[in-house]
Amino acid sequence: MEEKDKGLSRRKFINDGVRLTLGLTVVGTGVFSLKRSASGKDYVWQIDPVKCTQCGRCATECVKSDSAVKCVHAYDLCGYCDLCGGYFKPGAKLQTGAENQLCPTAAIQRRFIEEPYFEYIIDEELCIGCAKCVKGCSAFGNGSLHLQIRHDLCLNCNQCAIATSCPSDAISRVPADKPYIIKGDFTSEEEG
Amino acid sequence: MATGLLVLAGVLSIGWWLAKDPVDELVTTQPGLDNRGEHSVVADIDIGAYFETMGELNSELQETWPRFRGEYFDNMSRSKVALIDKFPAEGPNVKWRVELGEGHAGAAIYKGAVYLLDYDEELRADILRCFSLVDGEEIWERGYKINLKRNHGMSRTVPAVTEEHILTIGPRSHVMCVSRQDGEFIWGLNVEKEYESEIPLWYTGQCPLIDNGKAIIATGGRSLMVALDMESGEVLWETPNENGWLMSHSSVLPYEFQGIRMYVYSAYGGVFGVAADGPNAGEILWQTSAWNHQVVAPSPVCMPDGKVFLTAGYGAGAMILQLSKSGDQFSVEVINEYAPKEGLACEQQTPVVFNDHLLGILPKDAGPLRNQLVCVHPDDFTKVIWTSGQDKRFGLGPYMIADNKLFIVSDDGTLTVVTPSTREYIELDSYRVLEGHDSWGPLAIADGYLIMRDSKSMVCLDIAKSRQ
Repeated sequence: MEEKDKGLSRRKFINDGVRLTLGLTVVGTGVFSLKRSASGKDYVWQIDPVKCTQCGRCATECVKSDSAVKCVHAYDLCGYCDLCGGYFKPGAKLQTGAENQLCPTAAIQRRFIEEPYFEYIIDEELCIGCAKCVKGCSAFGNGSLHLQIRHDLCLNCNQCAIATSCPSDAISRVPADKPYIIKGDFTSEEEG
Repeated sequence: MATGLLVLAGVLSIGWWLAKDPVDELVTTQPGLDNRGEHSVVADIDIGAYFETMGELNSELQETWPRFRGEYFDNMSRSKVALIDKFPAEGPNVKWRVELGEGHAGAAIYKGAVYLLDYDEELRADILRCFSLVDGEEIWERGYKINLKRNHGMSRTVPAVTEEHILTIGPRSHVMCVSRQDGEFIWGLNVEKEYESEIPLWYTGQCPLIDNGKAIIATGGRSLMVALDMESGEVLWETPNENGWLMSHSSVLPYEFQGIRMYVYSAYGGVFGVAADGPNAGEILWQTSAWNHQVVAPSPVCMPDGKVFLTAGYGAGAMILQLSKSGDQFSVEVINEYAPKEGLACEQQTPVVFNDHLLGILPKDAGPLRNQLVCVHPDDFTKVIWTSGQDKRFGLGPYMIADNKLFIVSDDGTLTVVTPSTREYIELDSYRVLEGHDSWGPLAIADGYLIMRDSKSMVCLDIAKSRQ
């Protein structure tokens, strides 16, 4: 009888131990996750537009098709020029015919405002993140067009394929509460 | 029954497939989608109507920097005034500073006076401003009202100054001639209206030329180039524009080749030389459409042996022409053309010639050497002798040689002093003088006073060694 009581006690001890361990693990993981989230330590991938060399790999290396990388436009930096180095091929006629446009998918809409200003709007549905416009804008303009990883599209892979292949180490993890590195005053105000 | 339904579904599918236009959802990208309007009507402008006197100039200074690229069109000062090699720890001595309308216009200096065609954003007027070189006191203003919108700034030309006259071209190609002594208005010309010219993108960048009492303007439009009498504004000759070439941002360069004086201009459409003197003055001596780019800001660099170096930004690179003369006939051939990554090319400023070598700053699309100062071999402009290095990049700012020193202004207003050399890059000192951006206006120097600017302000630096 005494031996039976001892056996039950041992089994109970082991069961209680396992339950406690599992419980602590679950609670600990939850607390850790909550704490990490609350302290902003989640990270997402993003492109530093200053380091980006417009190599074009964002369009081809991303696991998503189309790429989660899109061109964005810092309007406060844009010159609103008639001749836009990000919109027109060098030497092209300054009109909207497809043969004049740099963008292979016509993802930039050019809209006349008033002499001498033109607005350039990115159609993200069409943008494939090839950076041709960014290269043209950086070489001949103010650099207002630049690439960003869109987090509504990005899968946030553990190992980002475009970060791995980026030749200029322009892609790194950034805090999830500051997920974009936008050029121009927009970022400054956000940070301020 | 089931088989019948399947056959029916198949027939309907094939019918739908045949009837369906596979590209009916595609949108064609055609001209005119930007809803661009017609060009606005050219306004009548009362050139020279505004005038105000503020002070009086009493100066015994005699040196001059009378126009774009200086007296000899080479951006090289012949002044004997020794200049400093290094800046004091607190920076160069800023004699005076003046706020300007946004732009890139450069100054001319003549015997103690500084002349600048500014755009007054409050008055909404092109204003020729005369300052005292030594203290910056404003002496007088002459101008005209014109409503301009900022388009990478407004002003961007350098006046031409002689003992008697000052000649300016405004952003919309309004030419104004005034008396140098007192700013009295003499005559004006609305080039856009009179010659049906097309104003270049980002406004007029051509700096006017006064040559032997004539105002030389490359108008484009109805005439390719015109000469006007400086005293009266009367048209002396007009060069027909049979090819419909357009005014560029480049400036007219006087050039003498095998005893014949000519004016060389790099237009949109081609480059040409026009006889400067004699019975055939105003006639085209040679021309070629081989050099035809959308944006051309640098001026041609014409060598004594007939080589003409042409360069531009926006991917254009450079071209070298060889001019020849046989009897009375000139001919021109392209001897080299290359991309900006392959040799000396410049986007905005004109290269300088130093000991037969060309020095210039490469554009942003020049690959690994982008924005670096380079020196190229005189026999082969694709052969780079030295560069300023990857840690020393500049931008679209100006550079000039004075007292055997090369002064370079970076976009952010940093002034760098370099010993010009055909062997290596030798930097003497560097200091950020201006706080603004787009410091692109050409430099001017006389009597040891250097005038430089950013997009919104202009300063006079006293860099004479004897006055430090």
